[in-house]
Amino acid sequence: MNRIRTWTVARTLRQGAIASTFAGLMLAGCAGPPASTPTAAPGSGPAAAAPAPTSAPQVNAGTSTPARNTLTVAIARAPASLDPADHRSRESETVIRNMYDGLFTRDTKGGVHMEIAESAKWLDPKTLEVKIRPGVKFQDGSPLTADDVVFTFERTIKENAIEYPKPHTSPRKGLVEPLVSIEKKDSLTVVMNFRGPWPSGFQQLVQHQIVSKAYVEKNGTKGLVDKPMGAGPFKFVSATTGLEEVVMERFDGYYGGAPDLPPVGPAQLQRAVFRVIPETSSRVAALLSGEMDIITEVPADLVDTLKKNPGIQVKTVPGTRPLWMDMNVKQAPFDDARVRQALNYAIDKDLIVKKVYNGMARPLGGPLSPLNNFADPNLKPYQYDKSKALALLKDAGWTPGAGGMLAKDGKPFTFVIDTIDSTRSLAEALSAMLRDLGVDASVRIWESNVVVPKLLAGERQAYVGDWGDAAFDPVGHMEAKWSTYKQGSTYGRASYSGYSNSRVDKLILDGEVEGDVAKRHAIYNEAQKLIYDEAPAVFLVLPEAIEAASARVQNWEPAADSRENLHDVSVK
Amino acid sequence: MKAIKILERVLVTIPVMLGVAIIVFFFIRLTPGDPVDIMLGRGGAVSAGQMEELRHQFHLDEPLMVQLWYFLSDGVRGDLGYSYIRNKPVVDLLVERLPATIEMTIGALLVSLIIALPIGIISAIRQNSLVDRLSMAGAFLGISMPGFWLGIILILFFAVRLQWLPAQGRISYDIHLQQVTGLYVLDSLLTGNRAALWDSLKHLALPSITLGAGVAAIVARVLRSTMLEVLRSDYIKLARAKGASEWIVIMKHCLRNALIPTVTVVGLQVGVLLGGNMIVETVFSWPGLGRLVVDAIFNRDFPLIQGAVMVYAFTFVLTNLAVDVLYTYLNPRITL
Repeated sequence: MNRIRTWTVARTLRQGAIASTFAGLMLAGCAGPPASTPTAAPGSGPAAAAPAPTSAPQVNAGTSTPARNTLTVAIARAPASLDPADHRSRESETVIRNMYDGLFTRDTKGGVHMEIAESAKWLDPKTLEVKIRPGVKFQDGSPLTADDVVFTFERTIKENAIEYPKPHTSPRKGLVEPLVSIEKKDSLTVVMNFRGPWPSGFQQLVQHQIVSKAYVEKNGTKGLVDKPMGAGPFKFVSATTGLEEVVMERFDGYYGGAPDLPPVGPAQLQRAVFRVIPETSSRVAALLSGEMDIITEVPADLVDTLKKNPGIQVKTVPGTRPLWMDMNVKQAPFDDARVRQALNYAIDKDLIVKKVYNGMARPLGGPLSPLNNFADPNLKPYQYDKSKALALLKDAGWTPGAGGMLAKDGKPFTFVIDTIDSTRSLAEALSAMLRDLGVDASVRIWESNVVVPKLLAGERQAYVGDWGDAAFDPVGHMEAKWSTYKQGSTYGRASYSGYSNSRVDKLILDGEVEGDVAKRHAIYNEAQKLIYDEAPAVFLVLPEAIEAASARVQNWEPAADSRENLHDVSVK
Repeated sequence: MKAIKILERVLVTIPVMLGVAIIVFFFIRLTPGDPVDIMLGRGGAVSAGQMEELRHQFHLDEPLMVQLWYFLSDGVRGDLGYSYIRNKPVVDLLVERLPATIEMTIGALLVSLIIALPIGIISAIRQNSLVDRLSMAGAFLGISMPGFWLGIILILFFAVRLQWLPAQGRISYDIHLQQVTGLYVLDSLLTGNRAALWDSLKHLALPSITLGAGVAAIVARVLRSTMLEVLRSDYIKLARAKGASEWIVIMKHCLRNALIPTVTVVGLQVGVLLGGNMIVETVFSWPGLGRLVVDAIFNRDFPLIQGAVMVYAFTFVLTNLAVDVLYTYLNPRITL
């Protein structure tokens, strides 16, 4: 393992320059704020599945000074749009979700709750009736009715329904693919008709927020983009060019939000500001200087340093972006399942968790994130076992040659691991571990936009990357990642290994429409086992999302789907 | 007469810009990555028909020469096309972002001159003294220091430790400033908004120092060496011999002549400043052109990259023209 150690040392040295500067200056400079509570991250660990925010509503904002009652959040990338129907970006959702509510919402652990919907029941496996909570108001004072819900979903599913800047179809149509039509039953009831049973429906419906029919019809999409208006806890105030900064203030007429998720009622904060700070160290600095109250995407290697600062609280939440190393199963040497299994055994996931993620990640037991509601708990991560890996490779014809490097028919075992910059350290760790096994794997960094088409065309050998499952359901994930690639469809759109198994394909299709939960589990368990055994990828890790906040921020929890729910948050 | 000469020089920039446009057009099409793939998100989830439609919409299905013709003929009419990613006309995007970049560039230029002029002059008159050695060592450091590193160090010291200056952004969210030119400092002055002036100056300070440090170092070194050269010339001896005070000798006879090569260097550095913006804007979350261009390159947003490079090129050409005009004032014997 001395190669790993060399790699670790090299990496530490590389990051050391900036990290140690940070550490020194932070400790020297930031002892300033009064030491209130040394905040580690209670209850934020994966195991401590404490109930979602329960503390009672705190100081009413009316009594606080406005300056103290403003909260600033730094995000890493600008939202793509503030139109709830016109984006496919997490940052957009993070910001939009504070101004718009949906029929359903999620708690920080991923559980689904009624929000604008008061009740929802399946009339038959293809028809869903949703009753809307009475008394919900938009921020312009108008009541939210069934017409608005119908309008919102029709705007999402109809071709070219968004007219600005050029007529186009909502990029969120795919997130409600099975919805064929929606109609109003009475002023507070809608009926949704689906193509077939949609077992993951509630989880998926969380991703749509209700817009006002009258407002959009009057002001057009441009009006909605320039001045968003929803039924959420905060009203839009202003946004700068490129959505680098979005300012919003409390909507006093807010109906209160999901009754299951206290505090219920208007937001605690008077004002909320989202600002884009793309550079990680600048984001951390802005938190330390007191300019920002919450920052997202904190790097794992700065966590220890930040935790030493009494004015800062660091919290983690199990992420929704599991990582794999996909291997091109259509090309030698990865066309042999034994080789792919061997690589799974050769990678020490625990060491990766410890060294690359500073302990803040967990090994993957198979093709699904362990947090997915349908992950098979019986599948255990491939245990690190170098001799087993070597034995499998020997079976496949790879034997140690000169310098201990593996070779077959005189040709050395060598390949390129492609990845993008954000997973560079992980790919380098894999390369070091594989070298230890006798495999010469080099790392090549790409821009994601450039490499993905090449991967789908089967032109590359191996790729380290992620594919999210923010809905915690196999739909959106299994068909994208592990089914046969079909151009022009959603199937296999992330199948970078080129893996294709007709049984798995069938199971994935069955799972999408199976309404019975136990049967659905059985279907997905079989699919996961097949993929696990055939190992089209090295199943790596699920990193935790890390966020940090100033100690004055109360009742704040990072969410698994990377949303910042500021409704619940207050500042002292 | 001079006005006609300047106009002539402006007209000469037209073929230069045309050349730049053609080179940029072909170079970005050599980079791998298909804009339509990128536009539609991670490939595969859209039908071939939709891709064809988009290709057609942006003329990407036409031969390169035809695309070039569209680009040039639209460009002449002031239409730089439509950004694939941002869904907005490129001209609008550039106009929105340019003021922030101009403001930072001017700030950096001022900072560099404020630092470089005294250092250059003093180290030339006190050649080989401790001051000279220290300032030249400082200049060496300034040249070698990468912008992002200096930026982070400044942030850590002035924003995190001392908490004197903000670490990011152009203005605080609670300051209301009526926009006139888009240059916040200037707008604050124009509208007589003191709070905004102070706030925007504080925000401008660290980025300007970061960006200006490298330029200051180069300018100081150039000024020092030309000053030394000029100090050895006969007319300086003459000036001293006729009894002019040392101040007059240095400031009037020596500095004015030494400034000519310095101005050239400063002019060329404007190009460096525009390039350096991309990094400094990222470190300080400065919503300028640099960050827009970086995003555009990653997303293969051809029209936006083309538009931005044209702006850079045009600024560079104009700066050089300004330098030439400035020469004629510094040395009346030089004509355009």
